[in-house]
Order: sequence, then C-alpha cells, then structure tokens
Amino acid sequence: MRNLFLFFREHYFYFLFLLLETFSLILLFNYNEFQGSSLYAVSNSVSGSVNSMFNGISEYFSLRKTNRVLIEEMAKLHSRIPEAFYITDRNVFYKKDSVVNLEYKYISAKVISNSTNKRNNFLMINKGSVHGIQNHMGVIIGNKIVGQVVSVSPHFSWIMSMLNKDSRISGKFKKNNQLVNVEWNGGSYRTGQVKEIPKHIVMVKGDTIITSGNSDIFPEGLMIGTISGFKNAQDENFNNGEILFSTDFNSLGYIEVVVDMMRKEKEELKASFKPQQ
Amino acid sequence: MTSRTVFFNIVRFFFLIFFQVLILNHINLRSYINPYFYIYFILLLPFDTPKWILLIVSFILGLSVDIFTNTIGLNAAACVMMAFARPFVISAISSGPESLLGDTPSLRNQGVKWFLYYSVILIFIQHFTFFFLEIFRFSEFIATLVRVLLSSAFTLLLVLISEYLIYPRGK
Repeated sequence: MRNLFLFFREHYFYFLFLLLETFSLILLFNYNEFQGSSLYAVSNSVSGSVNSMFNGISEYFSLRKTNRVLIEEMAKLHSRIPEAFYITDRNVFYKKDSVVNLEYKYISAKVISNSTNKRNNFLMINKGSVHGIQNHMGVIIGNKIVGQVVSVSPHFSWIMSMLNKDSRISGKFKKNNQLVNVEWNGGSYRTGQVKEIPKHIVMVKGDTIITSGNSDIFPEGLMIGTISGFKNAQDENFNNGEILFSTDFNSLGYIEVVVDMMRKEKEELKASFKPQQ
Repeated sequence: MTSRTVFFNIVRFFFLIFFQVLILNHINLRSYINPYFYIYFILLLPFDTPKWILLIVSFILGLSVDIFTNTIGLNAAACVMMAFARPFVISAISSGPESLLGDTPSLRNQGVKWFLYYSVILIFIQHFTFFFLEIFRFSEFIATLVRVLLSSAFTLLLVLISEYLIYPRGK
C-alpha cells in the first residue's frame, strides 16, 4: 500500500496529466449533450454578455452599413408576406381564415458574434428561448440560408453556421428539382461543395441551388448559391461540384430565425406511422 | 518565485485571455490562419513552477478561452498537452544549468537559438493538438496540417515580436 502511494507520488505528473486531458476530452466529446445543462448555460451567458459589450462598442463603426441593411431587410419582409402562408388546395380551405394556415414565422435578431475564419464556425444572436427560439430552427438572411440553431439560453442563441464540418444542407437544382447535398470543406468562406449530384444531370456554371424543404429546418426555395465549378468523376456514382454561396457570411448583421409552426404536426405524423411487422 | 512574479503572471493571464478573445479571434485571414497567442502565458511561466501548478493553470487557461468560443474542452485539451510537454522540452534542449539563467524563459536570458527551439516545439504541439481535435477526422489531413503550420508560424511571430518589445536587447 505504501509502495503504491509512493508510486503515485513519484509519477503524479503523468497521472495528473492523464486526468486533466481525459477530463478535457470528455467535455469536448460530450459537448453536444451538454446543451441545456447548467455548464452550457453559464458559458453561454458569460460569453454572451462579454460579446454584447464588445459588440456595443464595435457597432458604432458600422452604423451607416447597418442602416442600409435594415432598410433592405424591411423591403424583403414586406415582399415576403404572401409567401409566409401555407399554400394548399383552395377547395379545402376555401372559407377558412388564412392566418390559421400560417406555416412559417420569422423572428429577427442581431448577430453579436460571428466567425468565418475557423474550420467550424458559429454565430451568436441576441435572442433566445424567451423570444421563442428553439433548437434545430433554421436561420436565414433575406432569402438566403445562414445555418441552424444548436443551443439556446434564455437571451442568446448559438447558431451553427453553414461554414461548419457538421453542416449538411439538403438542396436541389432549381431547374429540375434534383436533390443534392451542400457541405463546406474549409478554405474560402465564399465557396462550398455540392455532393451527390446524379451522373445524368447536365450542369452548367451558374445553375442555381435552392433549399429542398426536405429537412424540416428550412422552408423550400431559399437560395443556397450557384454552381461555380464541377468535375465529372469517372469511377464514382455521383459527381461533385463547387458552389458559390449567395450568403456573404462575413457581413451578417441582422438575421431571421425560421419558426416552423407546423413542425410539431409533421413530427407527430412521422411518429404515428409504425410499419407493420 | 517571488510574489512579484506571481502578480505579473496573474495580470498576464487575464490580459492574454482578453487579447485572444476580443482581438485575435476576430482576425480573418481565410480559414487557414487562427493564431492562438494566449499560450504565450504557458511559455512564460517561471522555471521553478511546480509541475502540478503548470498543468492545472494551463487547463484553466484553456477552459477560460473555451468559454468565450463555445468549444468547451478543445483549448483546454491542447493546453494541457502543451504543459505536459514543457518540462521534457526544457530538459531536452538545455545543455547545462547556465542555460536556465533567470526566472522565466526569455529570448534575452536563454539566447535566440534556445528560445526558438523552445517556442517552436511547444507552439507546434499546442496547435497540432488543437486543429486535429477540432476537425477530428483524417480525411482532411493535408489541409489541417497546412492550417497547423501557418497558424503556428503566425503565433510564433507574435511571440517573437512581444519578446523584442518587452525585453529589448542590450539591457
């Protein structure tokens, strides 16, 4: 027993190292499961208040630009009003109040921290669960995609940007509705990768990729970007392309969070189906 | 270790964290250069720092930066790795007791060659651990390695500039 104690005392440096390193890695890999836990909430509100202080100083330098963005955003909101409604067969909903059928609601928020220079980029916005934001909601700017909410504290939300190794957006070609996946491999924040393009699709540069609406995160038809290059793989089943993002991720001021009012209904519908054994 | 040294280290701890979080994290040079200059703190800890303090302080340093970037555990893991390597690096590159002159490692006390070896190796270890844990896959090995090398070089540049600013030659 005494020898064991001496052994630990002699090599405590290694044991302490292993202990701390293991602890760090546990924190790191359970990172996603810590969402909503007290640790995460504390970290979120500490960094949130520091970031908003810093942002309060730095936003004076971009007031002119912010004004312009606000006016643009307002114009976009006005033009979007009819699109916010669920469009369906008029025979069924003929006499019903159209407000009942509101499918998407948009919550505007201000970006208080943002990065485009990391391999995994995140944004923080100044609204949270108090304002009705929940996990897995989509985030857009105008009619362009930004990312999705991955963590919420009462007054702030943490958003995984499209520029992240875990971001994978279901898109489609505007011209023929062929489904593809859009990812980002690092490097320039202006361009991403389009994966799993069926071989028979004839692409040209400038083809528009929009959201497919299959993922329950984004409504259908938002701009992702345009094809800026592609290569025809000889020995694979799919082609890959490069996409020029429509969104300028480096100049996000005010964004909007998409609230899918019918999400619960959609999820319940999926859950209610049990295949017969 | 005098109380003066302890005081300066505490001030440096907070200064470097805020410098990192408020300024360096906002530098945008594509996604390939992310300097992590706050680890200068670990480089500058006195030679006679007890090893357990070295590990624990590095862990807290990393975790503090993590809190601001919402990457809980990432910087902490890289910093603990770097702190673990520090005593081995020091004993490997020091030829005799005369190379451990002074209280803390510095360009002035130990000379350019010693200090370069010391900081290059430790900065590389920290950045290597950091970027590979961040991406956590080998399919982008070359791109990640380029990121490690460019960022390490940039951090080293900042360390050398600070060395020349704080300890001017011929003093």
